[in-house]
Amino acid sequence: MQNSKVLVLATFLLGFFLSFGQNGTLTGKVIDGDFNDVLAFANIAAKNTNYGTASDFDGKYSIEMAPGTYTIVFTFVGYSTKEITDVVIKSGEVTNLEVTLTSAADALESVVIVVTKRQNSEKAVLDVQKNATVVLDGLSSESIKKAGSSSVASAVKAVPGVSVQDGKFVYVRGLGDRYTKTLLNGMEVPGLDPDRNALQLDIFPTGVIENLQVKKSATADLTSDFTGGIVDILTKDIPSSEEYSISLSLGYNPQMHFNDDYLTSGSSGTDFLGFDDGLRDSPIAIGSTIPLLQQDGALVRTLTQSFNPELAAMREKSFMDFGFSFAGGNKYKFESGNALGFTTSLAYKNETEFYDNFVDGQVFRKRADTSNNEPRIDRTQQGSIGTNNVLLNALLGVTYKTQFSKYRINLLHIQNGESNAALIFQQNAEQSSNQTKKDVLTYTERSLTNVLISGEHTNKDGSWNTEWKLAPTLSRVDDKDFRTTPFRIDGGVPTIEPSEAGDPTRLFRELEEINLASRLDFTKKHQLFKKSAKLRFGAGFTFKNRNFAVDQYSFILQDFQSSQFNGDANQILDPANIYDPATGSGVAVRSDFNITNNFDSQITIGSAYVSDEFQVTDRLKSIVGLRFEKFDLTYSGQNQQGQVSDNAKFIDKADVFPSLNLIYDINEARSFKLRGSYSRTTARPSFKEASDAEIFDPVSNFFFIGNRDIQPTYINNVDLRLEKYGAGIDFFAFSTFYKDFTDPIELSFIREAAGQFTPLNLGNATVLGAEIEVRKNLAFLTPSLKNFSTTLNVSVIDSKQQYSEDEEANRRDTLRDGEVLEDTRPLQGQSPYLVNAGLVYESENNLRVGAFFNVQGRTLQIVGSGDIPDVYTLPFNSLNLTANKTFGDKIKHSFGFKIENLLGDDVESEYEFFGAENKTFSFRSPETSFSLSYGIQF
Amino acid sequence: MKKLFISMLAIAALVITSCGEDDPIAAPGPDLSDNLISGLITENKTLTNDRVWDLQGRVIVTSGAVLTIEPGTIIKGLPGQGANASVLVIARGGQIQANGTASNPIVFTSIADNIALGQTRGTNLTENDRGLWGGVIVLGNAPCSFRGDVAAAQIEGIPASDTNGLYGGSVAADNSGVLNYVSIRHGGTNIGEGNEINGLTLGGVGNGTTISNIEVVANVDDGVEFFGGTVNASNLFVWACGDDSIDIDQAYSGTITNVGVVLGDISDHAFEIDGPEGSATGSFTINNATIFGNTNTPNGEYADYRSRAQGATNNVYATGFKASSDVELDNNGVSQNYLDGNLTFTNWVINLPTGGVAAANEVFVEKVGCAQNCDDDDDSNDILENFITTFTADAAAWASAGTSGGADLSAFSWTYSNAAAGLGF
Repeated sequence: MQNSKVLVLATFLLGFFLSFGQNGTLTGKVIDGDFNDVLAFANIAAKNTNYGTASDFDGKYSIEMAPGTYTIVFTFVGYSTKEITDVVIKSGEVTNLEVTLTSAADALESVVIVVTKRQNSEKAVLDVQKNATVVLDGLSSESIKKAGSSSVASAVKAVPGVSVQDGKFVYVRGLGDRYTKTLLNGMEVPGLDPDRNALQLDIFPTGVIENLQVKKSATADLTSDFTGGIVDILTKDIPSSEEYSISLSLGYNPQMHFNDDYLTSGSSGTDFLGFDDGLRDSPIAIGSTIPLLQQDGALVRTLTQSFNPELAAMREKSFMDFGFSFAGGNKYKFESGNALGFTTSLAYKNETEFYDNFVDGQVFRKRADTSNNEPRIDRTQQGSIGTNNVLLNALLGVTYKTQFSKYRINLLHIQNGESNAALIFQQNAEQSSNQTKKDVLTYTERSLTNVLISGEHTNKDGSWNTEWKLAPTLSRVDDKDFRTTPFRIDGGVPTIEPSEAGDPTRLFRELEEINLASRLDFTKKHQLFKKSAKLRFGAGFTFKNRNFAVDQYSFILQDFQSSQFNGDANQILDPANIYDPATGSGVAVRSDFNITNNFDSQITIGSAYVSDEFQVTDRLKSIVGLRFEKFDLTYSGQNQQGQVSDNAKFIDKADVFPSLNLIYDINEARSFKLRGSYSRTTARPSFKEASDAEIFDPVSNFFFIGNRDIQPTYINNVDLRLEKYGAGIDFFAFSTFYKDFTDPIELSFIREAAGQFTPLNLGNATVLGAEIEVRKNLAFLTPSLKNFSTTLNVSVIDSKQQYSEDEEANRRDTLRDGEVLEDTRPLQGQSPYLVNAGLVYESENNLRVGAFFNVQGRTLQIVGSGDIPDVYTLPFNSLNLTANKTFGDKIKHSFGFKIENLLGDDVESEYEFFGAENKTFSFRSPETSFSLSYGIQF
Repeated sequence: MKKLFISMLAIAALVITSCGEDDPIAAPGPDLSDNLISGLITENKTLTNDRVWDLQGRVIVTSGAVLTIEPGTIIKGLPGQGANASVLVIARGGQIQANGTASNPIVFTSIADNIALGQTRGTNLTENDRGLWGGVIVLGNAPCSFRGDVAAAQIEGIPASDTNGLYGGSVAADNSGVLNYVSIRHGGTNIGEGNEINGLTLGGVGNGTTISNIEVVANVDDGVEFFGGTVNASNLFVWACGDDSIDIDQAYSGTITNVGVVLGDISDHAFEIDGPEGSATGSFTINNATIFGNTNTPNGEYADYRSRAQGATNNVYATGFKASSDVELDNNGVSQNYLDGNLTFTNWVINLPTGGVAAANEVFVEKVGCAQNCDDDDDSNDILENFITTFTADAAAWASAGTSGGADLSAFSWTYSNAAAGLGF
């Protein structure tokens, strides 16, 4: 049923058609190596021909040429001339050529650099990195394709010092998502998780990406709210020519797919499109009062009947992963020389996961007797879970370019629906002594709609550049009808016992965030100390509003024996079992709405900055900047003591953030560089953290208490990096970094109240790290290996977090005999090391084979509380293999094959016990999966 | 006396009002419509028995304040779950003076109960109407044994941001006031964190407090739960609660004298007794209890002694239980206490259920917990603890078959249960 709909859609997309001309096109971009910026008005000519043009103010150019082999010459006043040989133009095809020009060391003498086309294109990304003023790593859409990554989340792992948690959240240098910022086209967008500051990256398909940059050091033009890094996702702009592509993919995991034991629940007619058609809507308006059945039994009966009666997880054969995407773009040139370009893409992904034996949320405790190291079991919890994840996204971008201006409108919509069905078995030994079985059905619908309107203007000689951007975003997360039905099963016949295992509950949560971001930037190229310099200044304003609401219902049994259900969750709301005033017995709904779960908060950030980038000496470049930010957070909500906040100002900060970046060329060829940077940055609490909200999460059983007194964290960052650029793509870098955190925020437990958590500004923390990055073609070993190249990056990080008073007292009191309390502990979420390694084979006939390995060290996941010890995430050794082969000339066909988790490693975290074997907190085994893809480009 | 005075005031007010309607200075009579109790009670306050009071949300008597409730007063809790649950909390340092009489008990019930002023019971609700409001929570400064040996803990259901929810301390003789002839009915709503509230929750209550003649009927969770503390209690009666009738945790070290328990159709244990959670220890004593079982409830055990429980259970009469019901030592932890003589039993008389139980001592059973491989997904490889006692055999020394014994049931003749269920006490 669902598959036939997909087929119809695919056929529709194939309906697009195409045409091509006789000539070929040479197109590309000219980069100003001095500023790592585009170079406007550079001259481009094919040697010994009449073909020629100039780059536009975006640095872009395009020439229609007859098929043949050319040498292309790039010139600009005061810059070294570059000649690229062996540029082949084929009929009806587009040849891309991006070059970087740097200013001539001695302007009187003309310098000509000659390289081949092949060398040039491979170096393009590295050039950006080489010339960057900040510590930066980039991934082009090309290299993302190479690694076979289907989403930004998996692609970004290839960047040094980057790891991805839960397959979604980026950690840069092992620092948690709190310290990582995600930007879309340089603008802030809201996250899709109410508990996180960062945006999840698995929702971005690689097809819409022009490139991806991870910036690890700050400059004044960047938001100061980041510490580990900024991930900037740049979506496709104006295409170089008419181009369409369609791709299809299939993924198969022997454990998860075509498995008869797969768990699911009834789906709505539009689930396959990533949203619910209303099936899972709450039948009752949020916050409505439901009378006691003793007060109005007839109404309670009607309301109870209005709920979807499906509560049980159902077994059904699972399908495999599949997806397709379409991307297209074209450019129209007007006689005036103005150009209009559009780019569009539509991508669809449908993934199914099934874990037959997963373990999650187990609880083990230390014993009161400190001489006994043996863990005490509180709760074991394991079961099976089936997940279906649908991701649909559409992008439409229109760009209009005149000689001196460019206007762009970009629309992006991402739609994601995730449904889970789980059967969980729990054994309790502390609070209660019982065994329970839970049917858990959940559905989360996420959407993000982003509009980017931007303009860029330059004057005639390109010395002044003005850029403005407006980016409104609406994002929504709807947790729809989370259904949990607990049966106690240790007494023989399964029973519903609220005081032992809880009530059957339904939960509805809505998060809506509006984000209006704007900025205005001016750039002026000027002379300082008789050398070229660039002054940047600008201002920005961001407004964010988040509204969070929770509604919850339970089902109670009035004068009714739950043993009649025989453990079948679907029996609970069976029409025959619903409360009837006539008999006075049955199942009735109860509202568990609580106003303290809800809040409405606003953030405004006004910013202004100025920076200058200039050569101190021929070899030493510096960027000095100062940024000012005014941050305000206001909160509206009510706490359980009845204290009402109405637009109460919780945070009001005006801060100055200085930054300094220095780049020293150790050798004349500029291939050996030393970079140093200092910056002050901040990490601000999330909406939920800086609140008075008191939120019980029935999924985790944790009670979250907001902290109205919480303050932002301030961080001093120092970076040192040595870079060596070799021939071709060869590259070596060594970096060290040091960060000290004042008042870092961490979710902390409350000693007197197990299971309750609140964010606190803890004692100071420091992070000291080192990174090594190597990219090397293996031809240096033996020339026959010239098609092999390898990448390796390793980060080693030592973090030290001081304890809060409560934590220290607690740790001291629960120390085992002979155990010593360390002075500090690692920062939560900070992994001690990260390794990324890759080996790639690329043949001349377009075959690419790669092996990629990724692992991160044992990481403190949950800080222990009371007699519950710390939980650490164990390393996951991820080894993926990819192979791609492209055929065809004008119409390109490509086939891809990928094996993920070849080592079959498990995802696992555990409680750390002193003097005893560690105990599992969570465990799942994704096993090895295989995928095939086919793409056609025309 | 006081009541008479108020009545006279009311008459005087009427007289004065009728004397001159234009007279702006009318002596204030009691405004009977002012019957809502909500929020914090920070100063001394009296709930008079001239009206039915409505309890709305979390009402807390804070440190230094005394809430006095007159005999015969009726308090009806409004519905609401979690943070909205209607609960009366006596915080540490606060006091309740609820001194009822057998003929004029103080009644806590639901707004849905049609009980009217001057009555001791309504007619529209039964023992199966549970969870219609919260319950009564008394918190004190007496010693408790907490996990991680913290000095105080937060009672379930009140977020830690509200320190009025703390209980426990070092004052064994702490005085939280008086609860005497108090009947708590139809409560036990969800108070938050998936926990239902008990009829009467006593957290760290000291032995300067008087707890006597208490009845809890039709509560979703436990009837009376003792979280640590030293308070002594007498004449407790629990009927048809959803979970355990008398629950002891965190090294409660007082004495409970004369207990009556009647299980309902969904009740669990009559006694559920846990031990210390931290290194502090303390032993309970239960003297004289009569427990009536129920053959309809899927669970319905006599008693469960768990996790390091320590104390004495003396002089119990049990009748009407299922053949499968037991008195159990839950795991090696509590069994070891039994072996060490820290958990004792004397004089249990069992009215033997028909079928399966040949002798009274068979009711007493040792159970074992899982010792190894418990945290994986395969139950078949679990290695269980060893049995370490001869509990069942030993029980012959204190258990006998019979049809009488236990509590002095006449002490419960005043209860609603006695009248509603025709128990004939």
